[in-house]
Amino acid sequence: MTDHDLHLERIAAGDPRAFAAWVAAAEPRVRLSLSSFAARVDTEVVVQETLLRIWQVAPRFAPDGRPDGLIRLAVRIARNLAVTEVRRRRPELVDDAMLDEHAAAPVPPVDPPDGALRAAVERCLEALPTKPRQAIQARIAGAVERDRVLAENIGMKLNTFVQNVRRARLALTACLRKHGFPLGVVR
Amino acid sequence: MNGDESHARNLIEQACSAWRQRDRDGSIQDHPAWHDLSAAQRVEVFDATVALRRIEAALDPWGLSSTGRAVMARIMQ
Repeated sequence: MTDHDLHLERIAAGDPRAFAAWVAAAEPRVRLSLSSFAARVDTEVVVQETLLRIWQVAPRFAPDGRPDGLIRLAVRIARNLAVTEVRRRRPELVDDAMLDEHAAAPVPPVDPPDGALRAAVERCLEALPTKPRQAIQARIAGAVERDRVLAENIGMKLNTFVQNVRRARLALTACLRKHGFPLGVVR
Repeated sequence: MNGDESHARNLIEQACSAWRQRDRDGSIQDHPAWHDLSAAQRVEVFDATVALRRIEAALDPWGLSSTGRAVMARIMQ
């Protein structure tokens, strides 16, 4: 298994390509580490904030000699951010022992994307009806745009766009499962 | 399906997006749709997002999901 700290020196020097390669590996693990916070915190916010903080702190990060030190740091930052957010919102519901348990939960490994998954996704996308395919492709390509803008760009009303994204997502995940790629969360 | 269910499904789908607003000091904000969901629906958002991000990463030449691309866009600003 690759030690993703191999990118550290270049990340610390401010190389965005090295950071992109690290983000591709780190993001799924950071996200899954927040699984137990899913009902209480908007985990997308925590994941993005965590990755940005790693970019800022990487020049000061000292590896401990074990693999994936920067990913382990990211998981710690993400869980701390999530705990802080839970405490801020509903302090009366927070039990410290419960939060410690969430914060210490193990992080499952994540298989990196491979050519077989890519080929299956492309096949499943091709099989979608036109409107859902247009909608999900617009959503995938428009990472930093709000849905209203994406919908306008392809001539759909917001509700129609969102309904088409849902149809596409459900059809895609079912198709990928049939091709041997169950992408769901194991709870 | 009644109107409430349909509305909830639309909110779930919107909250699965990587788009998040930033306030004046640059702090990233929760998706407005996320706040209107029940606990079970928020878990549904999380699970759907995990699957979606894998699909997005599989299609991206850098292996980046929409979250990864949003973060890279931010640091390149």
